[in-house]
Amino acid sequence: MADHGTTAATHGGGGGHASVKTYINVAIVLAIITAVEVATLYIPGIPNWLLVTSLLAMSALKFYLVVGFFMHLKYDHQIMRSLFVGPLIIAIAIILALMALFSAFLLLPRPH
Amino acid sequence: MADHAATHAVAHAIHDPNIGNTGLDHRKMGMWAFLGSDCMFFGSLIGTYLAYKGKSISGPSPHDVFDIPLTSYSAALLLASSLTMVLALAALQDNRVKVAARWLLATALMGLHFVLNQVYEFWSFVHHYDLTLSTSLFGSSFFVLTGFHGAHVTGGVLWLLILVGLAWRGQLDRRDYTKVEIAGLYWHFVDIVWIAIFTIIYLIP
Repeated sequence: MADHGTTAATHGGGGGHASVKTYINVAIVLAIITAVEVATLYIPGIPNWLLVTSLLAMSALKFYLVVGFFMHLKYDHQIMRSLFVGPLIIAIAIILALMALFSAFLLLPRPH
Repeated sequence: MADHAATHAVAHAIHDPNIGNTGLDHRKMGMWAFLGSDCMFFGSLIGTYLAYKGKSISGPSPHDVFDIPLTSYSAALLLASSLTMVLALAALQDNRVKVAARWLLATALMGLHFVLNQVYEFWSFVHHYDLTLSTSLFGSSFFVLTGFHGAHVTGGVLWLLILVGLAWRGQLDRRDYTKVEIAGLYWHFVDIVWIAIFTIIYLIP
């Protein structure tokens, strides 16, 4: 039965996991990015486009780090990746479509 | 090569009913499929919030009411809880069940703290700004989005506490690695949803 757990971990879709050291390093990077995100808000005179772009880029990086390392998707089987990334693309498309439909050009360039 | 892989997968399916012909664990695949569907669910709610942003004709605006330091603290709590979750998993993999149980408990407590912060935030919006679900488009879209996220976190806390209880009763060991891994996937998912909400709803002006 003990072998069952190992089997599930190694053959049940997980090709391997990061080490504890990697987890801690990822957590430190996540903390630094979060601190920079919040600090960015308090920079006086920063152009709105730069603020929005940098916040979205930092958020995307944090998202990737958690999904890739903490959720082990970086090491997982292609089917697992497809099951998550496919709907994620649809979710992003839903957000963009709703914003376009309601003319909510908060993040997209406003048409002239 | 393909035949060998198929034979290997079938051999595992015979040994372990949770491993299918693909060689993958059904429970883990099911959780990833659920998380994919939840992505679309939260995508719709975030899209709705953005579509209605700045279109309220009454009530306070988002940046009149948001408490960025408190929300940043909540974001840090969820990120830290993701670390304790993977440390619990690593400890369980080494069969250090008591250590794993302590990390799981730490994860649950940080999740509970997050929920309490959210309850305080909601209470503050209602009592200090008269902002409720029916006040404005902002109130409706904000409370529905963050409320559903809070409900997900609450569900995750209960799940983690059940795992802690099982570990304390000696009913959890490394054979249950996949069960804890699946709970971890769910927990990290609520973290990544908050990463998106924190930036898009709270930080972007």
